[in-house]
Amino acid sequence: MTSDFDVIVIGSGPAGVSVAFPLVESGLRVLMVDGGKKSDVPLPTTNFLSARTKDAEQWKWLIGKDFHALKMRDVVSPKLRVPSQGYVFDEFEQYNKIIGKNFNIFGSLATGGLSNAWGCGVSRFSGKDMTAFPFPESDLEPSYAEVCQRVGISGGMGDDLSDYFGLDKYTHQPSIPMDSLHARISQCYDRRRKKFHSRGFRMGRPRVTVFTKDAPERQACDYSGNCLWGCRLHSLYSSADDLPKLRQFKNFSEMSGFVVDGLKNNDGIWFVEGQNIVDHERKSIQATRVVLAAGTLATTRLTLKALNFRSSVRLLSCPTAAFLLWLPSSLGAAKEPGFGLAQLSFTLALRENITVFGSTFPTTSLLRSEFVRHVPLQRRYAIDLLKGLMSSCVVGNLFLPGHLTTAEARLNEEDSLVVTGRYSDEVLPLMEETKKKLRRIYWRLGALLLPDGFTIASPGADIHYAGTLPMQKSPRIGETSQLGEVASLDGLYVVDGACLPCLPGKSHTLTIMANANRIGVALAKRLKS
Amino acid sequence: MLILITGATGYIGSRLTCLALKRGHDVTILSRQRPPSVAASWIAFDLLSDNPIELPAGMDAVIHLATTFAAMPSSTGEMEIVATHELIKAAQNTGAKFIFVSSQTARADAPTAYGRTKWRIEQMVRAAEGWVVRPGQVYGGSLRGLFGLLVRTVKNLPILPAFMPAPLIQPVHVEDLAEGLLRIAERHDIPPNIYCIAASEPVSFTKFLNEISRTRLRRWRGFVPVPVAAVNTLAFILGESLRTRLGLERLQSLFNLPLMKTQSDLDKLGLTLRPLRSGMHRSGNDRRRRLLREGRAFLTYILKEHPNSVLLRRYARATEQLRDGQTLVLPSLFLNYPVFLSLFDRLTWGDPATWEEFSWRLDVATILAEATPLGAHRFLGLENEQGALSHLLLMTKAVANEAFWRALRIFFFPFVRFTLGRARRIS
Repeated sequence: MTSDFDVIVIGSGPAGVSVAFPLVESGLRVLMVDGGKKSDVPLPTTNFLSARTKDAEQWKWLIGKDFHALKMRDVVSPKLRVPSQGYVFDEFEQYNKIIGKNFNIFGSLATGGLSNAWGCGVSRFSGKDMTAFPFPESDLEPSYAEVCQRVGISGGMGDDLSDYFGLDKYTHQPSIPMDSLHARISQCYDRRRKKFHSRGFRMGRPRVTVFTKDAPERQACDYSGNCLWGCRLHSLYSSADDLPKLRQFKNFSEMSGFVVDGLKNNDGIWFVEGQNIVDHERKSIQATRVVLAAGTLATTRLTLKALNFRSSVRLLSCPTAAFLLWLPSSLGAAKEPGFGLAQLSFTLALRENITVFGSTFPTTSLLRSEFVRHVPLQRRYAIDLLKGLMSSCVVGNLFLPGHLTTAEARLNEEDSLVVTGRYSDEVLPLMEETKKKLRRIYWRLGALLLPDGFTIASPGADIHYAGTLPMQKSPRIGETSQLGEVASLDGLYVVDGACLPCLPGKSHTLTIMANANRIGVALAKRLKS
Repeated sequence: MLILITGATGYIGSRLTCLALKRGHDVTILSRQRPPSVAASWIAFDLLSDNPIELPAGMDAVIHLATTFAAMPSSTGEMEIVATHELIKAAQNTGAKFIFVSSQTARADAPTAYGRTKWRIEQMVRAAEGWVVRPGQVYGGSLRGLFGLLVRTVKNLPILPAFMPAPLIQPVHVEDLAEGLLRIAERHDIPPNIYCIAASEPVSFTKFLNEISRTRLRRWRGFVPVPVAAVNTLAFILGESLRTRLGLERLQSLFNLPLMKTQSDLDKLGLTLRPLRSGMHRSGNDRRRRLLREGRAFLTYILKEHPNSVLLRRYARATEQLRDGQTLVLPSLFLNYPVFLSLFDRLTWGDPATWEEFSWRLDVATILAEATPLGAHRFLGLENEQGALSHLLLMTKAVANEAFWRALRIFFFPFVRFTLGRARRIS
């Protein structure tokens, strides 16, 4: 029996394109399938503040013609209310049959997957982070180099987080200028950094996949402040931007708008079954190898279904919280557009193995309505108060390591993946401790953590899901090999977050990409020989 | 479907023709004169001639609306019966459904010739296995038919009669009636029978006139009681021909309207009639107007100035799409003076569902208001001068305002509780 393709890659997110490059470059016939959803929301054409004062049609990208933002009123993250990103999360749960019980479910059927809506933060897993990995740190090194080259990272300039991020030798893009509020915090930090170190607190610039130099496919950031609302320049990395490069290879094919719902092996040939999301026509495609990069949850379901494995598997997810800081000394600061994503990052060591990772963001391009609800004043006067207050505020988010969420996924009788989860008992005290420490530290940095300004999000809201099918030296059923190959299912590989054996608080996307690249290189070598 | 409509240029007929065309039906019109600019074919037809008529083949339904006027001498009734007989025969020949629009006054012993004629035609139609529809008091839309006459009367008279005892009528909006007629024509699960289409709960004629003046004409009218007995005596004195000519006969038939049981018929047709007040509004539906009024109050409260019409309509559209266009009925004090919303914004009141809804709507108004150039100024304060002092002042003022309204709340608490206890959601 011969098959249509050598390898089918399911998913065009960061993991999918990262595994595809080495496979395609080695000359293998590769087919990439994805949900193919695309945005049809107009993006702001000028910088955020002038668009806000002049664009009468601004509601179309702030709220959405279908009132997307109003429908999503009750979700915590403002990102999920952005109309231009609605397509990223649209219909993922229904098509992939994933049910969350006390657990937020997010995934993507979009071309480029969740990378269309991410914060662009990147970091490298250190040797310590990788103790649970079944291969040495050095195996990932060339892949990190390769992937960093492709995505373009700015922010590496030798600061207190250089070791934590571990990426300075790969950052080829100039740094993004800080806004005045963050510059002030940073100055305060620099004056007494030794003192902060002794409290386990370190601060530095975030490493972000943002182009600050023009390139053929992506333009340099113009600091318009539209990061959240949709970047016309493609300065922020989305794996969808890598597809044109893949399409240049003749041995690369694409099938967009196809959602996989079953994998069957017959005589060493894999049959990938699924349906078109437009006309619901069913189809089956064949390949000798299948690579799953559909996002942790969808990948987990497809794998468990192929295994007919009905026991629970562990799911890692980072407990997360958001906070609001006020800088009294910046009261009345000028409102100016600028880079809208993370401007400063920090780490706070709580225990030997628990480090909090967080970042702070400007509030300029956030809607004030987001905050009105949290101010204990009548709306009319809350707006007045925020008008005075917000230009001297920054918002922050933080993540705890993923093992602190007790979550599991199980394939039920109807072949749906049921995800249940809660934070472990340690989380609340840890969050409380974090809040106290941050309050004290930021006070010394000239910023006040506002009362009621620290909100712990519900489990799963982080969208950092991993570890359901961990790579192991000698994998058992429900685990994967060093190369992400599913135990007992030869030729089926898992390359996304699902195969990471651990999940620290730091951004994990780059590591998923590097690992996918590593598996792609090894798979190409194996198939060629 | 191929539908043939007689009387298609009349009050009900024109609405029905419009609706049928909008639904994509092929409409043929039977009337004395060619109707101007309607996308329908036309066949000449006169109710007062006995020429045999031939209908085009393949007709699915004939809806017979054409009628002689109630004020015409009784001999015209005979001619109408003959013409209708011809029409029924023609419909039977092409195999079309025959639907006859009769009258609430149709009775064997009706006081008017009109009512008696209708009754006789009904018998003919029933014998031929056709459908009969008895509408109640038709109102709404353009000023035609008896409704037009009533509106003009109310407009011209400063004082209106309130008949004692008040006659009861069962109104039906012209659009709702057209919808009902079309449903009988379209559907196959409605057996031939007499269907009464009108409000199941009658209203007094006085209330109906009052609704015309208040909602349709937006005018105030006084009422003087007029005993029904006095009208009857006058009619008796004037004699038959004079009372017919003066319309007194019509008035008398109003006093004797038989009450129709309509609910089961409405259920069979799956028809929900709009409330009288909503239908009496010029647009035929005041839901949107109520939504706009609510939106104007909420948006003004948020923005501290009146929103423009584009933003108002956006609020209405958002509530229509996400809340089925339901209005939260608040006392008009709050709708007219939105600043008083400060008395209970953020306060828990009433039943939780209503309070939740109020909160949702204010949040929606906040988000919609912010996403406009006007909102950018109100929320971001871009025009404000920079500097710590001015911003500190702004914040202090906000807190002072909050404190002021909280203090007022203590005084007005019983009042607010009382008025809001009556707030509810309506569609």
